Amino acid sequence: MSYYRGICNFCGTGCGHLLRVEDNRVRGVYPLPGHPLSRGRLCVRGWHIHELLQTEDRIITCRIKEKNSWKEVKLEEAIGYLAEKLSKYSGWEVGFLGSPRSSNEDNYLFGKFARAVMKSNLLSLTSDAGQEESTLVLLEGTGWPAALGSLERLRQADYILVVGGDLTKQNPIVASEIHYAARAGARLVTISPRETQMARLSRLHLRPRLGTTRLLLQALSRMLLDEGLIEEDYLRNHTKNHGDFLAAIAAVEPEQIEVATGIELRVLREEARRLSEARSAYAFYPTGIQSLDRNTIAAIFNLFLLAGKVGKPGCGINPVTGISNLLGSYDMGLSPLLLPGYSPLSDEASLQRLEKLWGCRLNMEPGKSVSESLAQNTRMQALLVVDHDEEIIRNLKKIENLELVVYFGAYENPFARLADVVFPLTTYAEADGTYTNSERRVQLNEKKVEPSGEAQPLWQIMTLLAGAMGHRWNYSSAAEVMAEISQVVPQYSGITYDKLRIRPGLKWPCDQDHPEGTDCLLIDELSRPLKFVLESEPAQTREVLRAEEGYPFKLVVGRSNYFWHQNSIMKKTFIPRREYNALLLLYPGGFVEISSEDARKLNLREKQSVRILATNAELRLAVRISDDVCPGMLYVPYFVEEMIPEFLHRQVSDLEKNEEFYLPVRLEKVE
Amino acid sequence: MSVSTMVPIVTVPEVATIVDIRDEIAEVKTFYFVFDNPEIERSFRVRSGQFIMCTVFGAGEFAVSLPFSPENDRRHISVRKVGKVTAALHELQPGDKIGIRGPFGNGFPFEEIKGQNIIYVAGGIGLIPLRSSIVHVLQHRSEFGRVILVYGARSSRDLMYKESIQEWKATENFETYFTIDRPEPGWSGEVGFVNQLVARLELPVEKTVAFVCGPPVMFNSVIKELKAKGIKEQNIYSTLERHMKCGIGKCQHCAIGRTLVCVDGPVYTYKQIKTLGEQI
Amino acid sequence: MYFLEKAKLPQLFELLKRDYEIYGPVQDEVSGEVIFDRVPESSGFDLEAPIPYNPPKFVLFPHFEEILKYRYERQTKRVAIERINLLQPKVLLGLRSCDLTGILCLDRFFLGQEFVDEVYLEHRKKLFIISNTCVRPFPQCFCVCTDSGPSAREGFDLNLTYTGPGYLVEVGSKKGQKLVEEMILPEAGLEASRLKKRIIDDSVLSFDRVALENKAWISRATNRLTTGFVRPEVWEYIGHQCFECGACAFVCPTCSCFNIEDVNFRTGDTYRVRTWDSCSFEGYTKMAGDHNPRKPVEDRRNKRFFCKLSYSQSKKYLRPGCVGCGRCARVCPGDIGLPNVVTYIRREITGD
Repeated sequence: MSYYRGICNFCGTGCGHLLRVEDNRVRGVYPLPGHPLSRGRLCVRGWHIHELLQTEDRIITCRIKEKNSWKEVKLEEAIGYLAEKLSKYSGWEVGFLGSPRSSNEDNYLFGKFARAVMKSNLLSLTSDAGQEESTLVLLEGTGWPAALGSLERLRQADYILVVGGDLTKQNPIVASEIHYAARAGARLVTISPRETQMARLSRLHLRPRLGTTRLLLQALSRMLLDEGLIEEDYLRNHTKNHGDFLAAIAAVEPEQIEVATGIELRVLREEARRLSEARSAYAFYPTGIQSLDRNTIAAIFNLFLLAGKVGKPGCGINPVTGISNLLGSYDMGLSPLLLPGYSPLSDEASLQRLEKLWGCRLNMEPGKSVSESLAQNTRMQALLVVDHDEEIIRNLKKIENLELVVYFGAYENPFARLADVVFPLTTYAEADGTYTNSERRVQLNEKKVEPSGEAQPLWQIMTLLAGAMGHRWNYSSAAEVMAEISQVVPQYSGITYDKLRIRPGLKWPCDQDHPEGTDCLLIDELSRPLKFVLESEPAQTREVLRAEEGYPFKLVVGRSNYFWHQNSIMKKTFIPRREYNALLLLYPGGFVEISSEDARKLNLREKQSVRILATNAELRLAVRISDDVCPGMLYVPYFVEEMIPEFLHRQVSDLEKNEEFYLPVRLEKVE
Repeated sequence: MSVSTMVPIVTVPEVATIVDIRDEIAEVKTFYFVFDNPEIERSFRVRSGQFIMCTVFGAGEFAVSLPFSPENDRRHISVRKVGKVTAALHELQPGDKIGIRGPFGNGFPFEEIKGQNIIYVAGGIGLIPLRSSIVHVLQHRSEFGRVILVYGARSSRDLMYKESIQEWKATENFETYFTIDRPEPGWSGEVGFVNQLVARLELPVEKTVAFVCGPPVMFNSVIKELKAKGIKEQNIYSTLERHMKCGIGKCQHCAIGRTLVCVDGPVYTYKQIKTLGEQI
Repeated sequence: MYFLEKAKLPQLFELLKRDYEIYGPVQDEVSGEVIFDRVPESSGFDLEAPIPYNPPKFVLFPHFEEILKYRYERQTKRVAIERINLLQPKVLLGLRSCDLTGILCLDRFFLGQEFVDEVYLEHRKKLFIISNTCVRPFPQCFCVCTDSGPSAREGFDLNLTYTGPGYLVEVGSKKGQKLVEEMILPEAGLEASRLKKRIIDDSVLSFDRVALENKAWISRATNRLTTGFVRPEVWEYIGHQCFECGACAFVCPTCSCFNIEDVNFRTGDTYRVRTWDSCSFEGYTKMAGDHNPRKPVEDRRNKRFFCKLSYSQSKKYLRPGCVGCGRCARVCPGDIGLPNVVTYIRREITGD
């Protein structure tokens, strides 16, 4: 044989593929037929993963920084060196920044090391925009923290709602399934202020004004109420606070929403009807690379709940994770507020259970994310970072001033230069590991080639490090780590490597009641009633309308396509790098997209140099005329660092959590 | 379509040494080279209009047209720094090695146009591929009718092969006209775009071929003027550029409609270009 | 024609294993899916397994292949360049006629034009082909529309046709004849040709019943594509659905576009690497500098189908560029495989 089955490790779709292995090298890739989700397809990235896996640009030895130069050392020495350094810190002094691309086993032990050995709850992930918000909304609403539906049944859907994002670029094969569902008869509706390919493939593209998506969703809920399309029995029997929600919806002013969003109520009334008539309905929104804000996610959830589309077979609200193991990382508790298995850190009983399983005391203080810690002034002095794929490093100055920075990575990376100690990791083809995709499918990726140099899986390095710091962990294989995970994480209690080897993954919860995993959330199996997630602050219809005086344009920043452009591992391929550069190289100084109508009004030419001014900063870019944006809207790709100076970095946390975040700006020609 | 008179170097590049480097215009350098293998150095023959695939060791390979005459002319390439590989080339010094595959492509007609008038029209670095034909024709001057060169660039700083231009101005029986877009102090030649100059000139029409090379906008406007004067489409030649990887008609990057630029071209008549089936 | 008893298949296998690496259809026990791959043992190897999900072109034209190695030491100005040629002889066992037609197209393209591709030639010289008639079609097949099946007529060293008790064996080359003699296969008898014709006729007739996924009015489409009389709106519609993944070219038995990169290794050597590429990509025609002559996605879709089906392209293959294997339809995220595109063009012609 030369082709071996595996799972692609780029985005959160988790497509099945076959890797061609010869002479201990990955020499080709082909889609895996028969995979229940990807069904024998791959996207441009997946088709070139062998180029990445062949790259020479790897970290394969440990190195320690000594006075501005690197000293290569053996693993044992590096472990000893780090153990000694780390023993000086504990709790709030050490931060842990994990990667959403690491395996469950890797992230589980990374998290265990942070909490059990270093007693720290400064634990978070890179590239996890919106994942926490989505998790909390779904937890509050249903008790389930992730995708409520199954993607396997998508082709039988009647109604599909896609909110935000650019799915055909971010998770192409999920978008492909949605497209096939639409061709099979599903009504596909996209809500997005910008024109995307998914919008073009939709039956209906709703383009609310920037920042008003949430209002639009509320209006849809209101239409359900007005048209008498609500199932009273369903609400009474299964939901807890529908009274409060109905009151909130009744207080909304539909005519004002019509004006604010620019979408006619007539259209919304029709959509509400169609949604309520659908037997099988899905909602999708992106997380990871970009996301919606908490209130918009809540509005999606509330709409579907009101329409009776939660907890029924063939229905689902599915956050689409942009990175391969983003969901699994949260399952493993790489979050400052949640333990492995999603119990809140603040819940004493859960904490005690974990203390018992791990055999040690844990720190009860609620944690912070690493980026929060860096942004504020905290006691953090040491930072451990895994696979920082994004080439743009936030809070660079603060990181440079830390006493100890440790980098664990498989590929050479700008972040590695900031580290004091660097450890080589295996690529996902060089070690066993499980990865959990958007639809809760835990999939096993088996080792296919021997590791290069001294590369080790992260879970192995954490075990050695823990041992060097006095904690005897006994894991001799990834399967053994999973055995422990299945005891700690309730959703994984029925998962073993033996089972995974002969199945295309298992969708959690996989437990005694569901030995073959669980397709979707079903009402009958809930241990508590469903709940409407009331919004944390009321929507302001009036304020949204008022453009700032003197700053008539709304500048939006785009991430989906451009995340991959500024992604370090993508730069190590040939063809994906060429493709992601194709557009951006046409505008070497950067570009801003403006609609043809606005360009005409301002008499702007393609590639003309313009200045974008916000209240406290300015950007100089070239014009790109495109009707993907509406009049009044400007669009700039974020991840091209050469194009964007400091000023957007200040707003980065805002723009990550909400893809509709915009800055009021004005535009001036440069003579 | 016809191949050169030698069997081209197809797969493994031949090593050549850079013997001299000259700065031409901004971002453009000319690299003079000599093959290391004396056999190859002796037998390497090209036709005007052909190209080679040049390897910059450690960086990659790129296609470049050959500006030197098939006879009695120092071998060189003139390259603009515009991407990763050409940037690496610009870092090299005399004594450094490069790899050469080729020559590939069909080349400008030479035997076929003996006795005819030739009009060369070039814009900017479009003079580079035409130079080979110009020098070769001048080496056999008596075998051709009127020979005319119309060459323009954005400014005097952007004119290629300035030394050759001085020689050509002084050459008898070679009608040369040079133009720059805007007037400059010290410039005594024409002012204006190339197509405007072509329109003004008295040019032969019967038994005449035209070779046109330059950026797309200039190309289209010049063709218009030449046709207006009565020159037939099948007598107007140009050389097309495409992204190339193999040079031997296999990788298909250079395909336009039903033709492959590296084997059917790069020289095409305007009549052929119109029917290629895709944009150039 | 000769006859090979079914029980003698393992013997054939062992004989081939002596001189060649064997590639053939490998069926996954769990999913039932079939991949064309290296076959380690004869046990479990089934010649009648369904059409493999991948074409065998990776054996002749690998996804990623080092073709040259060089080393340039700038200090000493020394250059060492060498071809890389560590190729084992290989046998393609049980090749379907559509895939064999694909190889014939690749042969004509790589070996029969202005230049001979030396890299491909090395692979091809060391290849032994044993094709297998499709005694029944599979749901995705439409080789009858592209004149590439269900039985191969040329290009094989041996061609097998399953009769039940065994296989009819036709010899197509000296290499094939030698193998037949080595196995001492008996002659198939007078009825053999008639039997083979009957089997093929039955297979063709079952297309209507079995091969239901794709029907493609290739000849009508060929006409329109060649003359360019397909309206731009149709290409725009098709272009909107294209996910620009490149899959159609990668799974196509006749597609052969490639990319060349020089890769520097830690050892100081540089390898010139040839990898699959696809005209679906925007960067495929982009030149250094700004110009990209085939930028809009609908132009790229147009180009690809022109390349596959128009008359002028068929000159390079001496037949249509499509072999009717149906793989592009299975692998396309946008559902615009060749059969669907032909359907859109047909609809434009017939108006329904």
